[in-house]
Amino acid sequence: MIGLLLCLPAALILAAGFVWPVLLLGRISFNRTNDMGAMEQAWTLETYARIVTDDFTWDLALNTITLSAGAAAAAVALALPVTLLIRSAPPRWRGLLALMAVAPLLVSGTARVVGWMAILGDQGMINAVLTGLGITSDPVRLINNLTGVRIGLTESLMPYCCLVLIAGMSRLDSRLEEAAATLGATRSRTFLRVTLPLAAPALAAAFALAFVLGVSAFITPRLMGGGRVFVVATEIFDLALETVDWPAASALAMLLLGTLIVAMVLRGVLSGRGAAR
Amino acid sequence: MTHLRLERLTRRFPGTATPAVDGISLDLPQGALLALLGPSGCGKTTTLRMIAGLEAPDGGHIQVAGRDVTALPPHKRNMGVVFQSYALFPHLSAAANVAFGLEMRGVPRAERAKRVADALTLVGLDGFAARKPRQLSGGQQQRVALARALAPQPDLLLLDEPLSALDAKLREEVRDEIRAVQQRLGTTTVFVTHDQTEALAMADLVAVMNQGRIEQLAPPEEVFERPATRFVATFVGRAAILAAEVVAPGLLRAGGATLQAAETPQSGRAEIFIRPHHLRPLADGEDAANALPARVTRRTYTGDIITLECNSPAGTLLAEVPGGTPAASLRMGDTLRLGVDPGDLRVFPA
Repeated sequence: MIGLLLCLPAALILAAGFVWPVLLLGRISFNRTNDMGAMEQAWTLETYARIVTDDFTWDLALNTITLSAGAAAAAVALALPVTLLIRSAPPRWRGLLALMAVAPLLVSGTARVVGWMAILGDQGMINAVLTGLGITSDPVRLINNLTGVRIGLTESLMPYCCLVLIAGMSRLDSRLEEAAATLGATRSRTFLRVTLPLAAPALAAAFALAFVLGVSAFITPRLMGGGRVFVVATEIFDLALETVDWPAASALAMLLLGTLIVAMVLRGVLSGRGAAR
Repeated sequence: MTHLRLERLTRRFPGTATPAVDGISLDLPQGALLALLGPSGCGKTTTLRMIAGLEAPDGGHIQVAGRDVTALPPHKRNMGVVFQSYALFPHLSAAANVAFGLEMRGVPRAERAKRVADALTLVGLDGFAARKPRQLSGGQQQRVALARALAPQPDLLLLDEPLSALDAKLREEVRDEIRAVQQRLGTTTVFVTHDQTEALAMADLVAVMNQGRIEQLAPPEEVFERPATRFVATFVGRAAILAAEVVAPGLLRAGGATLQAAETPQSGRAEIFIRPHHLRPLADGEDAANALPARVTRRTYTGDIITLECNSPAGTLLAEVPGGTPAASLRMGDTLRLGVDPGDLRVFPA
């Protein structure tokens, strides 16, 4: 009973700051946009029908999913060696190294994008080196396109992957790797046969979290795509603030939310089955 | 023939004042079982881990069958290790765990299957091949760990407190099984334990360790009957400890009594250790080199053995008498005379 009472403040904040706006958003998605572009109160599925039948929506969805899945996979792949290094470091260094791995979270996403511009821009560090050494005569386009978004998204997802992997793999008993070594396994075979299979649940959890964050990412695609990269989140923004088609923006947001919830539930079911095996 | 040789093996952990293992040397014959016995922190596990290659020594050498393996990584040493926590691979079945070492050595599939089956039979686990470790009891996991270590026919079997996670009854059973399997295969074995009963029951040789050094390296009987140092005398078995003064070589004064001992320091203060089973009640008129009048202050009945705690002029003594003998019926306050041979007194400088 006291437990429930103690949860009340968080529940109120969640209700006022999340559930209520989402309900409002849901309500708006059933409104109609008239020929003048103004919103009319209604209960109709017209907007949903318009969005679902529009090929552009499916292109967006495909873009978003491939971009997020790719960035999530890359982030997990890059976070794994970092995690392994932290795990094998002397105990007193582990805390500091873990902090360094998640330090990017302490910097705002916008500030990090500005940093990337200095590195990836046409006059940025990488192009300065490439042209300075005469490897290329024209700057390589690394930002304000899909490449830029891929790089930025991967970087922004990595700290989350590190967090999940560090937590997940700290439970992995290092005696198992020692046992493999005494049984004649080289370091690489120990990794492939023991470490990796046992890290699989943590890897899956990290990928799932990164994927969900990637799908809903807005700042990175917006600022590093240079207006050339379209994903669901940027389209919702454009519909709401550029086109001022609130019903369409709301409906697209609801579709995204529904898809993510289904994806999370599916993952829970699948990993639950994996654990029961 | 020496199979395992340790030469001045040393390990010093960074930031510690004293070495964990302080220059230990020993020779272990082919097929023998050595118990490294000592309290926690004495360096026994570190020694085992250095032999396995899981810990790098700061000095000294390890030789197996005449070959120096000190610089070899663990996967090239061909040793079977049973860890305290067993360290079975949780994602693999019992059979796959046992097969792991064979697979790493490139044993062909058909032969592998046969050797896995043999190893599981050896430890009495046929029919459990498909089980995952968490579907096995503690004793069964222990046996899988043993089978996994033995399947690749290691040059050396290393066991780190393999019985500590088992309950008392199972411990004795598995202890005898490990010994039986080890003797049948003739695998030279090093066994780490803090339990003297385990060490005495299983080992051909016992190395009693304290503070990174070997205090005594000898067969179990000798460690128990003739402890080489004060530490060994107090750590292994029970003993009455009497403060004494050396009157002349071979002659001691303890409290109000004078005792003869086979070996004593030349002079000075000393401590006498007497094992309970070395004290025997004397019959009326029976004479002995050392005869002490005593009064029973406590009687502990444990079935076949009765332990009498007695006051004597020399100090408090512990005597074990077999049930059914006249001394077994003595009660608190009764008096008796206790005799002990000069050769059974262990005397160390105090």
